[in-house]
Formats: sequence, C-alpha cells, structure tokens
Amino acid sequence: MSYYDIDAILTDAEKVPCKFELEVAELGYLDHNPAQPLKAGTSVGLPLWLGELLALASRAPSSSEEDSKSFISLNLPSSLSNEVMSALKADPRAVPLRDQSHNFYGLGTRMLDLFDEREICAILRKTFVTRAADIALHARKAGATEDMGIGGGEEFLRGLEEWERKLFKKAHDGTKGTKEWMEGIKKY
Amino acid sequence: MYGDLGNKLVQQAKRTQNLAHLPPYQTEIVRAVTREVRDLDKDVADLLEPFQGSFNPASDQATACTLLVNHLSMRRNKRCLLAYHRTRTDRLEELVWKGYDVVDLAGQQVGDGSGNHNGASGTGNNDSGTSSLSPQEEDYVRQYSDLLAAYKGQWTDIDLTGSLEPPRDLFIDVRVLKDAGEIQTEYGAITLTKNSQFYVRQGDVERLIAQGYLQKLS
Repeated sequence: MSYYDIDAILTDAEKVPCKFELEVAELGYLDHNPAQPLKAGTSVGLPLWLGELLALASRAPSSSEEDSKSFISLNLPSSLSNEVMSALKADPRAVPLRDQSHNFYGLGTRMLDLFDEREICAILRKTFVTRAADIALHARKAGATEDMGIGGGEEFLRGLEEWERKLFKKAHDGTKGTKEWMEGIKKY
Repeated sequence: MYGDLGNKLVQQAKRTQNLAHLPPYQTEIVRAVTREVRDLDKDVADLLEPFQGSFNPASDQATACTLLVNHLSMRRNKRCLLAYHRTRTDRLEELVWKGYDVVDLAGQQVGDGSGNHNGASGTGNNDSGTSSLSPQEEDYVRQYSDLLAAYKGQWTDIDLTGSLEPPRDLFIDVRVLKDAGEIQTEYGAITLTKNSQFYVRQGDVERLIAQGYLQKLS
C-alpha cells in the first residue's frame, strides 16, 4: 500500500463508529453541533484516518491511579457487523458487498489490524475465494457471447466492491488478450 | 467536516484513472483545501499561544485531543493533495512519452472526451478551448518534454518513443488532416497541405501520425 494509492486513501475515508472518552470543547463540529462541546460518551462516525490514530494515541494518565486511555474507543463498522457476517456465512455470493462499503476488503483488512477477530478474518477469506471464482466466470463470459449483452454484466458488477471490480477487469482483459493473440497467430 | 474537500479531490483522481483523457484541473477545490490547511494551522497556533511553548498534553487532554484532530486533518489534506497531483503528473508523463507536446495537451478542449488516444489531439491548434491543465502542469509538461528529448538525444539511431509494432510496409499512404508545413525526407521536401495524399516512408511520418497531423490509409 503506497502513500499515493488512491484506493487506500478512499478506504481511509470510510466511517467507523467511535465513542469519545473525554469531553472536548472545540470538537462539537464532529457531531454536527459546533456550538456545543463534544461530551464524553458521544458516539460519532469518524473517518478511519481520524479515528484510527485517535484511538491509538494513548494519553498520559492525569493521576497515578488512572490507567492511560485513548481519546476514543473504536467499534467495528456496520459493514462488518454480525448481520453482514452471518449473511456472508450463509451465501457469500448473495450479498452485494458494494452496498456495505465501496472498499469492503480494504476496510476489513484495516479493521482486522486493530481488532483481533479471527472469525471475521476467516469469513472474509472464504467470501473472497467463493466470489472470486464467480467473478472469473462472469468476466470470461461477458462480451464473449453477444446475447448476454452488456446489461447482464453491469447488473453483476453493481454488487462488486472496488477490489473485486479490478479482478473482474483483469480477468476480462486477460481473456480478451488471449483471444486476440490466438487470432493473431493463426494468420501467419 | 475537515478533510471532506480533500476527499473530493481523491474521488476526482479515482475518476481520472478510469478516463482516457485528462479532466480539467480542479483549481477551486485545490485552493479550498490549501486554505483549509492554513486555517487549521492558524487554529493550532492560536490553541498553543497561551501555553508559551510549555504545553503539557497530560494536564490538558481536551486541548491535546483538539490539536491531534487538527494535525491529523492537515496530514490528511496533504496526502489528498499530493495524491491528486501525482495521479495527474503520472498521466501527463505517460502522454509525453506517447508523443504529445504541451501545445496538444493545453489545447485540448474541456469537453473533448472522445477517448480516442490516437486522434485526441485533433483540436491541437485550437486556442479557443480552455486548457484542462493548470499553468504549473503546463510548465511541468514542457520541462518533462525537454528532459525526455535530452534523454532520447543520446541515442540518435533509436527512437525510444517509436512504435513497438514492426512495420509491414516500408512505404504507406497518408492523408493530411491539417496543414503541417514542409518536411524534409530522404527523397526531398514534401509540403503537407490539408486534404492532400502522399505515398511516403513510414519512418519519416510516424511522429506526425501520432500527433494527429496525418492519417494512415490502409
């Protein structure tokens, strides 16, 4: 992942639910209420680039008996919630991942760096493998037969998140490239 | 919220990656993002001002948190700005390698989304269109072209930006799409006037085809 990677930057903009652990006077605007101070315990959705480091930065304990805590506590975003996970467990192909998050796997990877959730990790892996086979199949078929048309392909693409779309495009271009090459060598 | 405008830039960059042509430079948003960074920097300075350089994060955690949020927003904006410009300069470098020069690129009209790589410079000499490049980008293209020309100059017998396709015929038929003046070839000078047709050596006119002056007839 590069500093300049556009997809990584967009993944960083995904919102995650955060709970503030202390009252901050100037940050009311984060809760769409600039006039009021942001109270401790307020839950706000913050982009990952902000939430992650706020959660990781440990503030020094103000007194000796208090443990050092972070400014906010981070929660799993709704796209990785139990409902989505059980839906994925039931049938990975039936869930339009794009509706959950445009960078579903990117977000998942980032969150699993912070949370130790072995089950989610396993589900995501299985989801990708199952869906990848499906994507490869569709990518090979799309455009190969005229009757399938573009409409069917677009319908399928709509449910794919960014990484899967890239995979689809690569598989599609690969098939096309092979076909062109095969036709090219026949001539000579 | 802070960082939202930066996000807009990155979305533009994402769009740019999937487009064949370069969309217009987002002067307004870039300016707004830099202004946001300046405002944030001023906020940080104001927040720190009463402490006279002896700020202790442990004793004033709310301020420390605000400072961190401001700092992270600035860093985020910086990353968005850099990524946006880098996406564009990468594309510009690619176009320079393809044989476009600054006149072609700057002359490209904003709505010229034909997506045709070979003929996209058709509006090359048209000055009426607004350039989709910022003045800095035009300068970048100009200097990069100079660098590339100097680099290519080291090997006079190899054209580094030439076509990788081996030519089928030594001579080809071309039609002139717009006046290109007189060119010198091994077989003497040819005056290229619009709509005329010539039978010329491919090597002599390859660049003119790439620039959109000539069209190859098969």
